[in-house]
Amino acid sequence: MRLTIFLFLIANAASAQVPVAPSPDPAGERTGDNVHNYNIVDSFETGYRFSSVGGSDAQYRSSVNYGDGVRLLGSSLIVTSKNGHGLLFDQIILSTQGLGNDPYQSVVMRVEKNRIYSYDMSWRRNDYFNPGLATGGGEGQHLLDTQNRMQDHNLTLLPQSNLKFFLGYSDSSQSGPAYSSIQQFDATGNIFPLFSNVRRVWREYRLGNEFQIFGIRVNWTHGWQNFKDDTGATLAASGVPGATPIAPQSAVSLKSFQASDPNHGTNPYWRAAIFTDRKLFHMNGRFTYSGGQHAFVTDESAQGIASSLSRVQNVVTLGDAQRPVATGNLNVNFTPTSKLTIANSTSVYNVRTLGNSFFSEFDSATQATTVLFYNYLGIRTIANDTNLNYQLSPLVGFMAAYHYSDRLISTQNQFSFAGTTSSSPAQQSNQLHSGEAGVRFTPWKPLSVLLSAEFGTNSHPFTPLADGDYHALTARVQYRAKTFHLVATANANYNANSVSLTSYGSQSRTYSVSGNWTLRSQFTVDAGFNRAHTYTIGGIAYFVDPQLIQGQSSIYLSNINSIYAGVRYEVVKRIDLYAGYTRVQDLGDGRASAAVGIGSAPSPFQAVQTFPVAFQSPLARLSVKINNRLRWNAGYQYYGYRANFESLLGYRANTGYTSLSFSF
Amino acid sequence: MSLAARSSLLLLVFSAGVFVANAQDKQNNRFLSNDACKTCHPIIWSRFYKNPHFKSMASGKEPPERTGCQGCHGPGGKHVDNGGGAETIQAFTTLPAERVLDACLRCHSQTLSRANIRSSQHTLNGVACTSCHSIHGAQSVRALLKKPQTALCEGCHTDVRAQFAMPFKHRVEEGVISCSDCHNPHGSFAPTWRMASRPRHTEQAMANEEPCLKCHADKRGPFIFEHLGVRVDGCETCHAPHGSSNSRLLRRPVVFTLCLECHNGGGNFGRRGIGIPTQTPNHNMADPRYQNCTACHVRIHGSNADSNFLR
Repeated sequence: MRLTIFLFLIANAASAQVPVAPSPDPAGERTGDNVHNYNIVDSFETGYRFSSVGGSDAQYRSSVNYGDGVRLLGSSLIVTSKNGHGLLFDQIILSTQGLGNDPYQSVVMRVEKNRIYSYDMSWRRNDYFNPGLATGGGEGQHLLDTQNRMQDHNLTLLPQSNLKFFLGYSDSSQSGPAYSSIQQFDATGNIFPLFSNVRRVWREYRLGNEFQIFGIRVNWTHGWQNFKDDTGATLAASGVPGATPIAPQSAVSLKSFQASDPNHGTNPYWRAAIFTDRKLFHMNGRFTYSGGQHAFVTDESAQGIASSLSRVQNVVTLGDAQRPVATGNLNVNFTPTSKLTIANSTSVYNVRTLGNSFFSEFDSATQATTVLFYNYLGIRTIANDTNLNYQLSPLVGFMAAYHYSDRLISTQNQFSFAGTTSSSPAQQSNQLHSGEAGVRFTPWKPLSVLLSAEFGTNSHPFTPLADGDYHALTARVQYRAKTFHLVATANANYNANSVSLTSYGSQSRTYSVSGNWTLRSQFTVDAGFNRAHTYTIGGIAYFVDPQLIQGQSSIYLSNINSIYAGVRYEVVKRIDLYAGYTRVQDLGDGRASAAVGIGSAPSPFQAVQTFPVAFQSPLARLSVKINNRLRWNAGYQYYGYRANFESLLGYRANTGYTSLSFSF
Repeated sequence: MSLAARSSLLLLVFSAGVFVANAQDKQNNRFLSNDACKTCHPIIWSRFYKNPHFKSMASGKEPPERTGCQGCHGPGGKHVDNGGGAETIQAFTTLPAERVLDACLRCHSQTLSRANIRSSQHTLNGVACTSCHSIHGAQSVRALLKKPQTALCEGCHTDVRAQFAMPFKHRVEEGVISCSDCHNPHGSFAPTWRMASRPRHTEQAMANEEPCLKCHADKRGPFIFEHLGVRVDGCETCHAPHGSSNSRLLRRPVVFTLCLECHNGGGNFGRRGIGIPTQTPNHNMADPRYQNCTACHVRIHGSNADSNFLR
């Protein structure tokens, strides 16, 4: 019992900086009540959550989003058969969070009957609000105020036998209003805001089986995925904020606009896996094939005035796209002695994306245009990874690894216009080699030290930001005793892509230390510090009215410090108090204002190469056990966000709750 | 008696002694009825019906070496005869990591999600089953975890914990997403969508795709006009998946910086090896409206209607 209490306290401390509600302390006895042949452990917490936001409400909704109202903050129900021979089920585990109207809601359930079936279900809702992207002084588009709902159902028949059957269903949807934008009537025209009602649904059905033959387990799954995106777009109505053109430049106005672009697809797939675990070796393989295809239609019409002339533009696009993907993994693990482990992994990936898009445009200025596009993108990757681990003694162990990847990218852009066909095939191959070495020390059972380094080189990175010549260094020290746990890590990653005309280099270093300490069962403290330094420099080229500027660099510097601390104290036997604090601060490159650049950064980049922000959240929670079945909770949490160069994005939010936890 | 005869006799006696000793040891280490355990461990015994490992006991058909206490802790005869003691039984607190793994995998290797556990980074670095799971003192009934999953993972991965404290992040701390939605702590198949062997422990979507596409299905495509950087190098080219100080988990505070660092026309990058195309001259970057790339290039993840992602 003491162990259970101890673990519970540690758990509450370690999950310190989660939102203040729901409360981690359930009401009622953990042993539960016996009813006939079942034992029932249950608890639910209901109460009122409040919030008061000053400053940018949009930014608050984007990063925190808790509101006001009565909530079923959390609940838990566990029903267990006492002899394992229940009539219809042997165990039900149900937990919920945030039901009522919290932006983050979930229900997780498992029902099982020994040897007969096991059913797992999860349902989640995530309210997603994004006010759009910020630029240096400008406002962003693509505002989203949507709800994502996800549910998964998995039924396993004969779960404890050598012959199992799997049935599954998943459903994911996104719906809600959104703002987007479109530029009319050409590349120099105005950008107009569009209103759309997002409607996306994705469904998956699964059927599978697992059996054993000659000591090898075979698992296969066949799935069908269907995707529908029926989001349409209309011109934002007059009077709606943002309905006027964004940053108007040319004499273009839009009287009407409507677009509909339904996009429906299906992704049937097969997955087969074999695996076996023997004394000297362990082997598994996985093979997948999916044949994704989408069919789409875009019907768009716009009417307005450009350069004092009436303009009508109708665009119809239709076509289909296919993406067959075949993959394979084969892993072999040898353990010739108890000290040596040799692991080899080979993987193959082959994806082809192909399809056609018939584009037809009628423009009152340019008359009709019809183009038929054919596109092809193929990626084939073969990779092999060999890893050796040698435990020289209980004190010291070594590891070494070598990784090789070979990738071939083939593309072909082809179009047919006015009877003329043009094609532009291209191919690029790339090889990556990397080596890794490390050593582990365990000088004392609670103490372990890990040092490792990885060096890699990439012959032909696809983008400047991809890994080129890179190396990564890692150090980790961990001390784990019964009442005290301390972890310290240091990571350094360097990457360089230097070629003529442009170059890209990045370095990041992360240092962190955290620990928790339990001083008797009444007092637990948990704290940590993390520093993440990122410095990148990339060659850029751009136009300024309309001169091509080359040889400039984009420099981005970020220095993020974050700390957290939490203290849990059992004031008296019935009263628990928790206080915590989190602060994240990006110090940027140290400049005090957006106007002063660093180095020789060109004018448009001065304001945006660093983005110092501070985000902090202190919280406190009080929980009082009134009797064995009732507990009262109250908590307060403050959120403060400050963007140094964008004062309008800042907010201060006072949130809190009071609730009762019941057990019956 | 000759020397040879005496030697033979001595060897015979010694062998017999060894045989008897072994037999006695086996006799001492006999399997008992699991009921023997409840005398000294009544609390564990009385609650064990709530434990998933009770399933094998419930049938009543399994021999003691394959079920109940001795199914994991080994024969209890010696332990009972000696009146207890961690040294007389297989006590998991004293076992090295590889022995813990062997003991658990006797039954738990028969699951595809644990197919790569022996070669996983956790196993290779001495993180055993009992580092995360507690059979008799679990906080989570479902997977017998020592702590709630998020707290458990963040206890060691402290740098990741800091990323989830950022103002923009996946809602892991809020409880609507868990680490295991994207990662498999028991080891996963090597990722194939990228060149290097990282990220590790990543649970892949159906066809070795990035786990991001499990939820962000609208970004999956296929699209006629794929944004090649996304398809070739993955979502992480532009996004920091755990958390960021930038909106939409972007790696830069504004979009155009991110775009121009690739679209600079230089080097041997891109599908033709002659650099990724720059903008056209009408993009006057001194004008703020052109600094917001995605205001026009609205379908930046891929489009079916426009090769420049305009619709």
